[in-house]
Amino acid sequence: MGVLEVSGLGKRYGDRWLFRNLSFDLGRGDALIVLGRNGAGKSTLLKAIAGLLVPSEGKVTANVPDTRTGLALSALEMSLYPSLTLREHLRLAADLRGCPSREEELLAKVGLTHAANLAASKISTGMKARLKLALAIQPDPSILILDEPGAGMDEAGKDLVQSICAEQKERGVLVLATNDQREKLLGTLELELVN
Amino acid sequence: MPDSWSNEIGAVFRKEIQSELRSKSGLITSGLFGIVSVVAIAFATWTVKLTPTVAAGLFWITLLFSSMISLPRAFTVEEELGTGDLLRLMARPHSVFWGKVLFNLILVAVTAVVLGTLFLVLAQIHVANVGVLIVSLLGSCFALGGGVTLSGALVAQAANRNALSAAIALPLLVPLTAIGVSALRVAFGDPGVAAGIQAAIGLVCYGVVSVAIGPYLFAAVWKT
Repeated sequence: MGVLEVSGLGKRYGDRWLFRNLSFDLGRGDALIVLGRNGAGKSTLLKAIAGLLVPSEGKVTANVPDTRTGLALSALEMSLYPSLTLREHLRLAADLRGCPSREEELLAKVGLTHAANLAASKISTGMKARLKLALAIQPDPSILILDEPGAGMDEAGKDLVQSICAEQKERGVLVLATNDQREKLLGTLELELVN
Repeated sequence: MPDSWSNEIGAVFRKEIQSELRSKSGLITSGLFGIVSVVAIAFATWTVKLTPTVAAGLFWITLLFSSMISLPRAFTVEEELGTGDLLRLMARPHSVFWGKVLFNLILVAVTAVVLGTLFLVLAQIHVANVGVLIVSLLGSCFALGGGVTLSGALVAQAANRNALSAAIALPLLVPLTAIGVSALRVAFGDPGVAAGIQAAIGLVCYGVVSVAIGPYLFAAVWKT
């Protein structure tokens, strides 16, 4: 039994199917990169896997005890609370998930210690992406989903994303990510959406 | 209640309080509307003695519309800010609902105290029964907080949520208005203390039903 089982997954909006009949099983330490042009349905697929969207057909089974801690998503279009500081975001996430907040460790890991007490509305796009990455790895998930992980980041940020992904994969975490271009992410498997 | 539930509800509640204290958007929006309404009523009725029923109706309308402006935003703001997905990933729907209901109850209580005080002073309303007034206000706050929050929660993810919110709120709030006015007019001098207390208890029951079924209805629409 894999960590993630996808069976006959499909999603449509009106008459248009973004993807259909997707089936795959992924296990610990796998890394799947989802490719496709803009509008191909990459983000929709990841959101359906994360449980944020109800698929039009098919099923997703994440074999984790609790999806709030066993599955984590960092997405470009996911916003942060503008008036909460970076530290408060991590504390809120920890309280909601019932896991240790590890604020200092995570902020240091993503290079945001200096901005810990700044409100989210006062930080750059790249810094927001780093915080979202920290929020995603906070509960030590079994499945890590990254939608456009390097978007808005400088080269150092993109290197950070790659090193964190490699570290998570080494620890046996299943990593799913999207990319518009074939960057140097660590994928071992690729899924290209064409519609 | 297990520790995890109380921690989660507390986390949502704290987040709401922190955001509101820093932005003050709810307090300013509903407060401004309420204060302007009370002042307008006071000017219009300065030389006229209001009957208990008219006074109760005017106060109830002011409190109702002040609440309608800010309370539904507890849920719709998550979708407008784009933070809805963040919350859906980390939190259980019951925790989110309860945390936001608690926050809204406090918001409507503060609004009721401020507007109630201003209304009594500026409109020169005589309170015939302080006990019934207190029970009526508490019941009104609970019923409004629960009912308006529920309607906001149900429409938060709809495309035309503003129009839909009004459509859903209307059948929820019309009976509430009738009961609320019945309770308050006794406090302002209408005869029938027992009937006033019964109406106030009816408001509390309304609030209890709203917050009891609310989490289950909200959980059904929580994910798109």
